[in-house]
Amino acid sequence: MDVQRCCSEDYTMSTLLEKHIVELLKERDEKAISLLYDNYANTLYGVALKVVKNEDLAQDVVQESLVKIWKKSDSYDPAKAKLFTWLFRITRNTAIDKLRSASNKSDKEIQIDVSDVFNLGVESTKPELLDMRENLEKIEPKYKIVLDALFFEGMTQQEASEELDIPLGTIKSRLKIGLRELRKIYGADLGLVLMAIGSMMA
Amino acid sequence: MKDKIKLFLDTDLLEKYLLGTTDVLESNQVERYIAMYPEVRKVYEELQENLERYAKLHAINAPQGLKEKILFQIKQENKNRGRFFKYAIAASIAACIFLSSTYFFYNQNKNLQEENTLVTNKIKDLEMDMKVQLEDIRNQYIVLNNPNTRRFPVVGNKKAKELKAVAYINPVKKLSYINVSNLPQLPENKCFQMWAEVNGEMVNLGVIKDIGDKQKLFALPYAEDAISYITIEPKGGNHTPTVQNIVANIKY
Repeated sequence: MDVQRCCSEDYTMSTLLEKHIVELLKERDEKAISLLYDNYANTLYGVALKVVKNEDLAQDVVQESLVKIWKKSDSYDPAKAKLFTWLFRITRNTAIDKLRSASNKSDKEIQIDVSDVFNLGVESTKPELLDMRENLEKIEPKYKIVLDALFFEGMTQQEASEELDIPLGTIKSRLKIGLRELRKIYGADLGLVLMAIGSMMA
Repeated sequence: MKDKIKLFLDTDLLEKYLLGTTDVLESNQVERYIAMYPEVRKVYEELQENLERYAKLHAINAPQGLKEKILFQIKQENKNRGRFFKYAIAASIAACIFLSSTYFFYNQNKNLQEENTLVTNKIKDLEMDMKVQLEDIRNQYIVLNNPNTRRFPVVGNKKAKELKAVAYINPVKKLSYINVSNLPQLPENKCFQMWAEVNGEMVNLGVIKDIGDKQKLFALPYAEDAISYITIEPKGGNHTPTVQNIVANIKY
């Protein structure tokens, strides 16, 4: 219950926190980066790792991305994108660039570490992250593939259909179900939190 | 209208825009659709939420010490930026000083050059003057001292009875001079002018100024059987002599 409350509070509080971070960024206050790190670094690290599939490279990606975010904070327009969307774009692009330059340097170097990527020890993962991972496992692989193609690979549905050799119609329906599953995970959390808050009030 | 929106949503442009992989034209189109159609805006917002949710499912503990590394780099970044501005300001000031001093020296140099040209020209003029005068004085000396020089006293006719002059002619050295020692008063708008007839043509020798010219010897062009005339002309001199106003003639 505790875990669920924490995650959902994160979710409901996120707009307030986002506003606060955006204000700090506008004021060129270094606290913005500290807050960004505390609230998004794990997710961005996960995103980076998903793209570069190497922990050292992913770490570099997060570092470079946050420095870029600090430098380019003037260019962020809250009217055009949510804070996370902006952070995600920068991190994903940095990761893709990193992957390109790294593969140009030497293909072998990266290969060495690939096996470690998903070999994360349980002790190195915070309980709430573990919970997230568990949630991810709740989504069936066939939906995850489509969600990955859309959100991480940057494929259009047409491209995903060709790449994965799945009819476009199936891609569309799997995406729909995948997104519904995703909402269910958060929806369940939110429901539980509301119940928890309700019982606390009573 | 609905078809238009459906067509747009089917293009996957919104998904591309979400990940920031659209080009400028596509971005503009997507932003226009988001601004114009609430349906598109809703889909975009849902996509953003789904992206955040899905990405969060992938969260993994970032390596320890990464935060400190990043904050340190940001501090360095800020320091560099501050330092950059300091250097930029210093450089601008230096550039300003350099420019203004360059301009100052350039101007000074230009003025000095102009002055230099002026002085050089003056010296050249003076040299020329001196040469001419020296030559003249040498000739005068020759004429006055040479035993072959003949002396002709010149007097004015009835139009200028007081006119007195002496002509010195040296046929050996082929030099001739005239010294006008006395001139009668003339109305203000008139002056005396000297002429010489050389090879049948009248040559203007210039206006005789009444004061200060008493000691001056006028050089006359030398020719065998030449005639010089003094005429009264309008002030400032004339291009051709007025024959009826001849007041003296000197044959030599």
